[in-house]
Amino acid sequence: MSDRITPMSMFDYDARPVTPGVVLVGTRASRGAYAIRDFLSRNGYPFEWVDAERPDAVAAVLGAADVEPSALPLCILPDGSRLASATVEQVAAGLGMVAAPSRSVYDLAIVGAGPAGLAAAVNAASEGLRTVVVEAVAPGGQAGTTSMIENLLGFPDGISGSELATRATVQARRFGAELLLARPLVDVSADGPGYVAELSDGTLVLGRAVLFASGVEWRRLDVPGVDDLLGAGVYYGAGPSEALACTGSRVVVVGGGNSAGQAVVRFSRYAQQVTLLVRGRDLGASMSQYLIDHVTAIPNVEVRVRTQMVSLEADDRLRAVIVGSGDSPEPVRLPADALFICIGGAPRTDGAAGIGLVTNPAGYLVTGSDVARWPGSDWPLPREPLPLETNLPGVFAAGDVRYGSVKRCAAAIGEGSMAVALVHRRLAEVGGD
Amino acid sequence: MTDQQVVAHPDAAVSAEFTELASDERIAKAAAALERNGIRPLLAATGADARGLVGSLLVDGAEVYNNTSQTLQAIGVADDIERSGRYRPLRLRLYRMDREMQRRELRILAASPDYVVGSVHALTEGGSLLIASASGSQLGPLVSGAGQVILVIGAQKIVGDVATGMRRIYEYCYPLEDARARRAYGVPSGVNNVLIINKVMAPGRVTAIIVKERLGF
Repeated sequence: MSDRITPMSMFDYDARPVTPGVVLVGTRASRGAYAIRDFLSRNGYPFEWVDAERPDAVAAVLGAADVEPSALPLCILPDGSRLASATVEQVAAGLGMVAAPSRSVYDLAIVGAGPAGLAAAVNAASEGLRTVVVEAVAPGGQAGTTSMIENLLGFPDGISGSELATRATVQARRFGAELLLARPLVDVSADGPGYVAELSDGTLVLGRAVLFASGVEWRRLDVPGVDDLLGAGVYYGAGPSEALACTGSRVVVVGGGNSAGQAVVRFSRYAQQVTLLVRGRDLGASMSQYLIDHVTAIPNVEVRVRTQMVSLEADDRLRAVIVGSGDSPEPVRLPADALFICIGGAPRTDGAAGIGLVTNPAGYLVTGSDVARWPGSDWPLPREPLPLETNLPGVFAAGDVRYGSVKRCAAAIGEGSMAVALVHRRLAEVGGD
Repeated sequence: MTDQQVVAHPDAAVSAEFTELASDERIAKAAAALERNGIRPLLAATGADARGLVGSLLVDGAEVYNNTSQTLQAIGVADDIERSGRYRPLRLRLYRMDREMQRRELRILAASPDYVVGSVHALTEGGSLLIASASGSQLGPLVSGAGQVILVIGAQKIVGDVATGMRRIYEYCYPLEDARARRAYGVPSGVNNVLIINKVMAPGRVTAIIVKERLGF
């Protein structure tokens, strides 16, 4: 036996799944392949990424070096079956992640499985309410993609967003809450005193009360070329599935908040260089101080304040970003292999558009005492709207999607928890079963 | 690997000594000794029976860590734990965690699962269990961190005493495990840590399923 010891993390040595996961074959410029990588990563499903432009890697998994471009992205499921031109919906179904609701009616239907939604699910189910959560992608929401949340009460060493989502999901299920994943909400309509939520695959969920905890989606960056390169070097959010792929790359992150800061920290461990572009004068306007201290101390990170994206340079994929700075009259070209856009959120209320929910001009759901003084709310009951209740009796909102909420994970958890007490009052009001 | 797939060892004499299936008498002797030592012995005629026993012992929804084990893979227990959806498989959860930023969470999670399921490298007729590990990460849960321990042991692993058990580890198991590690991880293995469990003080914590088939190394 050799006297030499090969240094290796004990977790890399031992703690890998021994059963086959998903194998995904595709090109890095493929938007569809990115969507599947993002879905699997956010759902914590182990997968092997095989670059279709590497014949040796393709041959190792398919037995042949060539694969029809039209078949990409190609997904091999753990049972050995193959999905050509795979979509997220097909992969989710193939992995058994698309469950049907077990009940014909629920006391509470929650839209969104981020911190607010999962907090509501835990509290509602633990108090005996028949609870279902519908979620378009994966538990965790925006917080779930954050590599570390360091200021959440009870976690002195911090907790990753994915771990928080995992624990909360286990907790909610333990109390009997159901989670219907991988299908976005497309419509909500009134049904007596309750509401029917329709999912993208036609699944209908009837809730005697509804809680919108759908959070925000990344605000779009209005720069030419961004949409063309989505998934092909340009990504919205922190891209948890892309960190390893950025090894040795030049990464640019746009945004001044905590999500952008955590993305910088994560990518700095893999990338050759990370550049953070911030439109404001400094990082203090939106980023927590502990994160500012961390980001500014990393050697391969450059922070450019008073800087805006002007345009992109690309051929089949991103090659550089062109930025304008308050300090320089001339645009500056920054070589870049990947661009991650984390510039804040737009409320995700698509599925509620048709039901008449009142929102502020930016799209956030109006609730509580704000309802009465909001034009067009037409509150129908003698009582006042409950806190967190929208202009539709029995429809509540919590977390980032709500107008006036504090955009922090802890605040979202608080609102989701709090909403359950209000749901109880609504259910008592309408009676029945 | 199953009885039909005895691993080819480079030394035929060593292989012959350490792949011989123990007689019913030796199995009974080892089982009785385990029981005296505070370890609950169960007997299974086949790997399939052992798989069923493991399933009956695990509680749905529990956190389960399946140790790196040819035995568990051969009889399908690794699949049951990681893919059935009945449990919370820790391997999958650990795999998705960031090795740098979640280092502390990784250590804590890996150290104290509700259940650890694995095998051993030798079981003595005196009821001692010997397990070797290159990284050592799987030993802490076995000896104290895990809530419950389930070990599946092919009857070819029964040896006369601790000294023979150590020899089984060095002469038989290590070359096979080294070859496996080089294929799987690209690095050699090593008899870096050895755990010997003689007695278990916590009643009911450790269950050893002895299988009348050659399973694993």
